[in-house]
Amino acid sequence: MLLEIKNLTKRFGGLTAVSKVDLSVRQGEVRGIIGPNGSGKSTLFNLISGVYRPDPGASIAFDGKDITNLEAHEIARRGVARTFQLLRIFSGMSVIENLLIGHHGHIRYGAASAVVGSRRAWAEERRVRQEMMELLSFIGLADYADMPAGEMSGGQQRLLALGRAMAARPKLLLLDEPAAGLSPINVDVLLDTVLALKNRFGLTVIIIEHILKVVMETCEAVSVLDHGEKIAEGSPAQIRDDRLVIEAYLGKEMKDEEVRAFLRSA
Amino acid sequence: MTADIVKNTEQRAGGGASPSRRGSVHPIVPWIVAWACLLPLPFLLTNAYTQYVVNVICINVILAVGLNIVKGFAGQVTVGHMALAAIGAYSSAVLSTKLGLPFWGAMPAAMLVTGLAGAIVGVPSFRLEGAYLALATLGLAEAVRIIISGTDWLGASLGYAGIPPPYLAGIALDDYRSYYYLAMPLALLGLYFAFSILSSDIGRALKALREDPLAAAASGVNVRKYKVTAFVLSALYAGCAGSLQAHMAPGFIHPNSYTITEMITLLLMVVFGGIGHIWGGVIGAIAVTLIDDLTRDYLQYRMVMFGAVIVLTVMFMPSGIGGLIDDVLVRRRFKAIRRRRAGVASVVAADDV
Amino acid sequence: MPYPGIRCALLTAAMATGLAAAPARAEDGVIRIGISLRMIVENGLKYGQMAKDELEAVNAEGGINGKKIEVILLDDECKPDKGIANVNRFIHQNKVHLVMGSVCSSVSMPQVDITTKEEVPQIVSSSTNADITKKGSAWVFRTSVSERFYASVHAKYLSENVGKKVAYLYTTDTAGIGFAKDYMAFMRRTYKVEPLYEAQMQESDLDFRAHLLKIKSLNPEVLAIGGQLDAIARIVQQSYEVGIPKKVRRVSASAASNAPVPELAGDAVVGLAFAAAFSCKDERPVAQAFVKMVQEKYKVRCPDHDFSQTYETAQLIKLALKNAKLELTDASLKADRAAIRDALANIRDYHGLAAGPINFCADPTPQCRDGNRTGILVEYTKGGKDYDMRVLARVGFDPDFGL
Repeated sequence: MLLEIKNLTKRFGGLTAVSKVDLSVRQGEVRGIIGPNGSGKSTLFNLISGVYRPDPGASIAFDGKDITNLEAHEIARRGVARTFQLLRIFSGMSVIENLLIGHHGHIRYGAASAVVGSRRAWAEERRVRQEMMELLSFIGLADYADMPAGEMSGGQQRLLALGRAMAARPKLLLLDEPAAGLSPINVDVLLDTVLALKNRFGLTVIIIEHILKVVMETCEAVSVLDHGEKIAEGSPAQIRDDRLVIEAYLGKEMKDEEVRAFLRSA
Repeated sequence: MTADIVKNTEQRAGGGASPSRRGSVHPIVPWIVAWACLLPLPFLLTNAYTQYVVNVICINVILAVGLNIVKGFAGQVTVGHMALAAIGAYSSAVLSTKLGLPFWGAMPAAMLVTGLAGAIVGVPSFRLEGAYLALATLGLAEAVRIIISGTDWLGASLGYAGIPPPYLAGIALDDYRSYYYLAMPLALLGLYFAFSILSSDIGRALKALREDPLAAAASGVNVRKYKVTAFVLSALYAGCAGSLQAHMAPGFIHPNSYTITEMITLLLMVVFGGIGHIWGGVIGAIAVTLIDDLTRDYLQYRMVMFGAVIVLTVMFMPSGIGGLIDDVLVRRRFKAIRRRRAGVASVVAADDV
Repeated sequence: MPYPGIRCALLTAAMATGLAAAPARAEDGVIRIGISLRMIVENGLKYGQMAKDELEAVNAEGGINGKKIEVILLDDECKPDKGIANVNRFIHQNKVHLVMGSVCSSVSMPQVDITTKEEVPQIVSSSTNADITKKGSAWVFRTSVSERFYASVHAKYLSENVGKKVAYLYTTDTAGIGFAKDYMAFMRRTYKVEPLYEAQMQESDLDFRAHLLKIKSLNPEVLAIGGQLDAIARIVQQSYEVGIPKKVRRVSASAASNAPVPELAGDAVVGLAFAAAFSCKDERPVAQAFVKMVQEKYKVRCPDHDFSQTYETAQLIKLALKNAKLELTDASLKADRAAIRDALANIRDYHGLAAGPINFCADPTPQCRDGNRTGILVEYTKGGKDYDMRVLARVGFDPDFGL
């Protein structure tokens, strides 16, 4: 298992955002996480990536090592990259700088070299810049390398956020609603890009998504959260028939026919 | 020509590193050229007063560039920069008068002390941001000034006198012309280091934590480490500038030179030139020092004029001269991309991007 | 990585070279005087304006010995760096023949270093710190009363005229401690007399009666009160409440000259004395003419010692200029500066607004350069809102005093 989560709980005051969740993700898997608004999906990502500290009793192991209480940047350096629902690209920096920040953990020259502007630092900068240009070409933003990221369109920014996460050369990629707000065509472009990246770099991917189509078509397995608890897990086909899931999504009990109709539409 | 300079400038300041453009020349070479170009300046200046003003500009450039690192690049709102300069000035003064260190020992040691103080000023930034951080640093800054004002062996409110001039090859740099040959190269060196640092991975990390600390952390940037780095780096500049202030003729420093008024003037330099643009800091330091000097004749109207500059800057160019240059550049580049996409003038466009 | 390009370097060079302009002005046949004062305070601008008006007034009458005066007036905000910049500008850019200023001692001190090095005469109009004239500069003169005299005005007068049994009651702020310690030091040094009683109180204390009762039982001749406004007023009031008789002279730090003291203390303030350099209640005709002039021209009801000393300095400058042989060409600048210095050093027994004569001489010593050695002792004659006071005594010192 690449990621092994046990008994993960997070309370904010009286609110339990995530409750006793166990989750195991295989190396090379594409895992979908679905659930209604407020079900704890994003909190789960924030816990894995170290933005929040889990409540005591939890354990998160990544690549065989415990990362439960590590800080965000340490977790990132071990190979967990993520995107954010609200993107959080560095809009005041250029497109390529966004990628270079993603690549931060792999840039190897010391502070002293940086200060005096040594040839070594210079050469290393040239090398990583070239590398990032290749990645930019891959996501189709090479032309905009030196433009401010904030000047990019919404779709380009989504690609950029994905690129920045990829620049970290992660083992595990956490995508938080990568397709939100995209037109259907762009959703396809994005999914193709994700799958292409996964295959090229042998990634493991966890996707949070609202658009069920994305999850159903892309993921090998799906976990369902509701009120912070994991209520179901299985292949997309199994989940499609799970009545609890549909109830969670619609917030009420349904007749069998209604459930079927809903899932078909999904 | 102008536009080309601007573009070049911007590429540095914006950190869009494109090291490959001029192949094998070491990056310090243009700075040596700049140094050579600036060498004859004191002999072009008509009198010692303008030489004095140029020295003040050099010192202000160092201060503004330092402040820009922590405020413009790392996005940490601090009003403690002048207090750090005071620590630099007084450390250098004490080390050279009480311990008899020569300038060349006193200045680095003072920078070290200031760097440590900078780390302390930086600690509140772990938990505070924006106006709250500004208030915390203001508190520290005022504490420094009040402590100096009340400490007899630091000259208290009478000031610290008798700070010896630096010696270079046995020559005392005790007039403004000779002092320029210390202040100018140090300002250039400071600029060179600033450009090196800020177009390196460190500089990018600083900008990332200005833009979005959370996303920066998720990208593997150690936010605390870089916050402290920013404060310490900027403090080193403040320490160097303070030391230069202390040893310049007549070798006299006073806590009144490090009040919130001076801090606001310094902030104006950075804002006027453009927050987050190193050249902006230079332009701002030159412009504001000159405005400050030229308005002196107007006595009571001076503050009104100064205030007008602040208000007009904030209203009409909130991102300073650097920001104006940015806007022009972005528009140019977009145009270039469009041109290239249309398959026209591809050579020009390639050079532009 | 950094690669700023040669054009960037040239840009810096060009910007810096742009500063090279600003040609120095040095018109022949004009006496140029640079004045640097603290003008950000109340009346601050008026001090500067008055100095400029007084000096330039001669131009309407054809100048001094036919030579016009040009005054360059700059504010130093009581900031040494600004004061240093001002003097540098005066000397190197304006090519002045004389520097006047400043108010704050911390500003005058480094200014004297510069004027000494550049050999430009400087006349200090309002700073009191004793060290200013102790630097051994041949170029500095002072019209204000140095603190070495000023701090002993009351001590000298009272010990000679009232008595040497002094009880000290003071608060632990700088002003309070300074006042009491200076007084005690004077008594020990001059008469080897120890304090009759000494007590320190907190600035925030309201009740001083316990100490005052003890003081009463010791029958002092003088009650010395150190502190800020409220404390002075309270101690004076309570000294009567506990029954210390009126014949015991109450004396206080100069802070007592401020309006809140007579207003808070009421009639108890009558007889309270304090040292000053000038009082607008001075009845000499020269003083009253001056007070009237300031009232009419500068709309200040009761000009303080900064007004009087600024005015006096301007008069001394005019006197020196009249006696100096000046060529006033570019080439003679150095000689003209020296001539003005020598003319200032030749001023003897000048009677003006100062309580006593002003005497300068050539030696670069405080004895020669602290020209004004006379302070006054003022006492309140009426308390409350419409308080009044009078000059109790003029107290002159030897040139060597306090060294």
